[in-house]
Amino acid sequence: MIQKIMFMNGYGVFVWFSFAITFVSCAIIYIKTLRTLKKYENEYAKELNKLSVSERKIVLKKSKVASQVFASYNKSF
Amino acid sequence: MFDLINPSRVFSWIQKLINFINSIFFVVLMIALTFALIISPPDYLQSDSVRIMYVHVPSAWIALASFTAIAFFSVLSFIFKIKNLNLISKSIAPIGLLFTFLAIITGSLWGQPTWGTWWVWDARITSMVVLSFFYIILIVIHKLIEDEDKAYKAASIVAIIGSINIPIIKYSVDWWNTLHQPQSINLLKGTSSIHSSMLLPLMLMLLVLLLYCALIFLMKYKTEIIRIKKKNIKRL
Repeated sequence: MIQKIMFMNGYGVFVWFSFAITFVSCAIIYIKTLRTLKKYENEYAKELNKLSVSERKIVLKKSKVASQVFASYNKSF
Repeated sequence: MFDLINPSRVFSWIQKLINFINSIFFVVLMIALTFALIISPPDYLQSDSVRIMYVHVPSAWIALASFTAIAFFSVLSFIFKIKNLNLISKSIAPIGLLFTFLAIITGSLWGQPTWGTWWVWDARITSMVVLSFFYIILIVIHKLIEDEDKAYKAASIVAIIGSINIPIIKYSVDWWNTLHQPQSINLLKGTSSIHSSMLLPLMLMLLVLLLYCALIFLMKYKTEIIRIKKKNIKRL
């Protein structure tokens, strides 16, 4: 059974390589995209941290995005 | 209506959607792979090499659909001047390029056992290569042009020009003599000449790859929103 799935009547190399290249490249793009997102989230949260308390209060009140990124950044620490 | 896609409004939904897709993705992937690699029968003519169809065909569909979406959003952004549509287009482009490459590579791997050649310059394959060039141009525009408004404008023009290639790809098998078989599935009419034992794994693999695309798109879109908010932090 396993041998049949592996060799696929002599087409195993083509089939397995097609699936492998698809999922490996998808995994690479996923990891790269996730890393970029985390990098931008951290940089944004750090910039918010640099602001004075009053400035930060205004930004967090005005921007939903800022308040969510800041909250999740603080949660992770 | 366009307020519904306002970045601030959708931002809280993006993470929820990412979490939801992450939670179901692995299960759907395992089911699809079981059907595609084990349960589905070999073809009477192509034998087991037909299984390449389960990654090749959805990849090609996604590559075409992504560019169609980019062109559609480019036209809308020209008419309604909505910057957010440009952000959406920018987030879709890398996904489209990835699946164009995958369609070409898996097609080449399918071509060797089926046609006896890795590559031919036939109409369908050549027009897919042209599509990959359009995707590369779109991505390079955003990397090279620093003025965002100019970059969005240039990318929109390229996308609209490139949309001419979409019907060429779709109908190339009917208009020219190619090694490619004519279409087996008509999504517009909802008809298919593929047996249900092969259609089910094909649709499952399409679902898996669509979920993956949604995941990457949402992460890229979220990154773009944060990038813009970061740039405008002092303005608030």
